[in-house]
This record gives sequence, structure tokens and C-alpha cells, in this order.
Amino acid sequence: MVNETLESELEALTAFLYVVPVGLIQFSVNGNIQLVNPFAAQRLMPLSSNGEFTDAYSVLHPLVPDLSSKIRDFQAPSGVVIDHVRCEACTGRQETVLSVTVHRVGTDAYLAVLDDVTVMVAQERRIFEDQQRFRAIFDNVRDYAIYTVDDQGRIEGWNPSLERFGHWRPEDVENRTLADLHVDLQEPPRALSDFLHRARQTGSAETEGWWLLQTGTRVWTNTILTAMPNNEGQVRGFVVVTRDMTERKRMEDELRRLASTDPLTGALNRRAGRALFKEAYGKVSADGREPGAIMIDIDHFKAINDNHGHDAGDAALAALVQLCAATLGERQPIIRWGGEEFVVLLAQTTLSDASAQAELLRKAVASTPIDTPAGPLTLTISAGVAVGRSHPDKLVHDADVALYRAKTGGRNRVMTA
Amino acid sequence: MTLQFLSPTLLSDLANCTAPDLDELDFGVIAMERDGIVVQYNAFESSKAGLSPDRVIGLNFFTTVGPCTNNYLIAQRYMDEDEIDDVINYVFTLRMKPTPVRLRMLKGSGAPLMYLVVERLANNGQ
Repeated sequence: MVNETLESELEALTAFLYVVPVGLIQFSVNGNIQLVNPFAAQRLMPLSSNGEFTDAYSVLHPLVPDLSSKIRDFQAPSGVVIDHVRCEACTGRQETVLSVTVHRVGTDAYLAVLDDVTVMVAQERRIFEDQQRFRAIFDNVRDYAIYTVDDQGRIEGWNPSLERFGHWRPEDVENRTLADLHVDLQEPPRALSDFLHRARQTGSAETEGWWLLQTGTRVWTNTILTAMPNNEGQVRGFVVVTRDMTERKRMEDELRRLASTDPLTGALNRRAGRALFKEAYGKVSADGREPGAIMIDIDHFKAINDNHGHDAGDAALAALVQLCAATLGERQPIIRWGGEEFVVLLAQTTLSDASAQAELLRKAVASTPIDTPAGPLTLTISAGVAVGRSHPDKLVHDADVALYRAKTGGRNRVMTA
Repeated sequence: MTLQFLSPTLLSDLANCTAPDLDELDFGVIAMERDGIVVQYNAFESSKAGLSPDRVIGLNFFTTVGPCTNNYLIAQRYMDEDEIDDVINYVFTLRMKPTPVRLRMLKGSGAPLMYLVVERLANNGQ
């Protein structure tokens, strides 16, 4: 009965050891193998040069060629002789990587443990390759900086992209935060934490604004913050990519200008002018001043074209706009309303002020000969002035009616509505 | 019936054996279905391996009973080749003792069972 129980337990133990997915070999100092489990034989038999499995040194030779000297040099009564040495083993079609550890477990007893780490090694290789790829990107980008910050926005690590793009050296960014580089994140006080919060909530956040170079120069940038989770899925920091957008902003500004101006004279076009009128009517004035308009028309413009050519006509139009700017101020919007008609918008004025401005302009035009391809010419203009709060269209209409009266009244004069 | 390890007709002879017939042999016989599931495990093999047939029958031989054969020298050949009749020297780890053996690998084209026949070599010291 006792024997039967023992036998059954021994069988269970044997079955257990047969399927252990780790190789185990026990051997003596002379190399004689005493015990070996199937996994070890499965992996090492294909590597065996003589088809035998009696001597540990020859069986393990393909993996650890210097095992005998390692064991000879190991003086301690027990402990690790070889610690996780990795060996590539090609068996048939499979490329495997085995990790070998050898323990001294007794005076004359050693235990070799083999583990198949092929998958782990492949993962490590992938991670290493990714790191190399990222390093290559970090180190070689020129038009943007890639860096990392911790969950509070403190810059974690310097890399060459910060120097190349922002001239920031490692010592410059030590203990600095994102807000030290991003001017727009400095105010209001919570701008940085709001930005980080947004990225934490949705995984990433984007902002455009001024970025500071180490030289003190500001550059218009786009910055994308991407959350980096730790193993528990919590955000432990962010990857920051800051790109130079100066050129794009310049082009956008230029496109906006081109879309809103008349290419011949540089005056605003009618569409942009209407938008300005709308804006002026949206503002309330406290002191009784109202939006006003001066509508201007060059006298006998058709005759200029007919007698001196269209180039002279074009020069006259451009000269008028320049005179307006010189007389009324650069910031006063001048709108090419159509043909040789222009409108000056006076956002806050009174009828007498507007009328005085128009008169100033009329005199300036009449007393300033202009250069044209056909020689110097002296122009005159007629102007109609209107002021009113009811509607932009009515304002322009009233100014137009006044202009008509100036024309019929003999030209080179200003009339008010 | 006396079967010889190297008999040219061993595959068909084994196919005609009952389980008690196999138990009388003085070498090990493992009969498997074509996917490696053990259907017969004779007494000689059972005693040397220290595993009773009950514990082994129904399991995949290459992965769960004799994993030391699960490599390209043995298991891969049974999976890849349609017929095999070959003899190789190998080492089994019976009861964790390295045991030199001679293996006869038998698989017939279309035959329902394939066999691994195991002969202990004289110098095993067991």
C-alpha cells in the first residue's frame, strides 16, 4: 500500500518533470550528466555533434564553449556560475535564442537551466530598433523640436533638436517648463496647466503661438502635446513637437491681404470694405460720434483715359489712393468701390469733421501734380460726405447722392448729405 | 509472435498486434494517430518511462509525453513526411536519466497509425 502510493507519487512527479518547459541538466564537475529533463534534450540533441548526451561540457559546448573553465574558476561552495548567458541556436528551420544559467548546487553538483527567450529577444530588438529610429528623428530634425516633458510640463531631457531649432543647450532647459519656451502659455497663470489638462483628457492637444529661441527671438510655432502613458495607463508625461510656422503664417497673412485688396491701387476691395462697414456699425460710440463715409470720384476720368491712355488713368487711380493715405493717415481704410469711385470709411466722426477731412483731401489732390507715363497731370476730385447710424447701405447711398450734387454743382468740390 | 526491431515488415506487423501482443515485446512501442495522439503505449515503454498507459493515452506524444522528441529530428519528420521508415540513434530522458536509444520511425502512406519503436542501447548502464 505504501509502495503503491509512493509509486503513484513518483509517476506524477515524473510526468510533471517531463513537461516542464525549461531545460534542466544536473551534472558533476567531471561533466557526467546525472539527470536531464526532456526540454533540455529536445533543444540540445539537434546541436549534438556525436549524438550522445553523457558529458555536460560537450552537450553545452555549442552554447557555452568555456563552461569547463568557468566551473574551474568558480570557488564558492554554491551560487551562480553563469548568469543568463544568451546563445543563438539554429536547429533545423528554427532560429532560437536560449538563455543559459549554471548554478553550483553542491560540492560536486551543478545545475544548468535553459530557457527559450526567442520571443523576448525579438521584442527587445524591436524596442531597441524603435529607440534608434526615434533617436535618429530627434537628432536630425531641423524644422522642429521634439522633446519630452513630465506630467507638470517640466522639460525632461535635452536632445539636439532643441539646439538645432531653438539654440537651447542642455543647461538652458534644465528645470525649465514648457511655459518658459512658449510665451503664450505664460499668461494667464493657468494657461500651461490648462494645456496639459487638455492633453491628459484626450490624449493630445495642439496650440499655435510664439516660441522663444535662446537668442530671445520669437518664432511663430505649432505645438502638439501627446500623452505618454506608463504601464498602469496613467499619464506620466508628454511628447512635445514644436514646428516653425513662420513661413505659413507669413503666407496666410499675404493671402489674406491679396484677397482683400485691389491689386492696382492697394486700396481695400469692395468685399473687404463692406466687412469693415459692418464692423464699424457693430461698435457703439458714447460721445455721439457716428460712422461716416466720404465718397470720392476723379473728375473727368474718362477724358484722362481717352487723352493720355489707360496707363495714365491707372497711375491717377494709384496716386489718389496714395494721397488719401498721406492726407488722412495710413490707417484710414480706403476702399475701391468701383471704377474710379473710392470710399473712405470714418469709423467715429461727425458731419463737420468728415466734411473737413474731405476738403483737406480735395485740396491736396488739386495741388499735387501726379507722374504718369504721359507726363505730369493735375487731377481734381469731387466728394460726397454722409454720416449716420441707421445702416451702412444708407450711409453709402447718402454719400453717393451728395457726390452727385458735387458733380452737377461743377466738380472739384465737397458736398454733404 | 516474435517481432524484430529491424524487421522489414514491422509496420504492418505492429498494425496487426493487439495491445497484449505489444506488451510482450522487449522493446518500446508507441502507436499514435497521424496527429500525434497516443493510442497504444506498451508495457516495456511504460515501465522504462515510469508512466502508466492510462496517463499517456489520448495525449499528444510529441508535446506532452515525450517532449524530448519535439524537434526537427523526430516530431517535425512525422508531421512533414507522408511515409517514414528510418532508424536513428537518439537519447531519451527516461525518468530524467539520459538513456541512449535506437529509434525506428514508422509511418505508412494512408495508414491510420504511425509508430515510434524504441530500443535501449546496451551501454546505457541502466
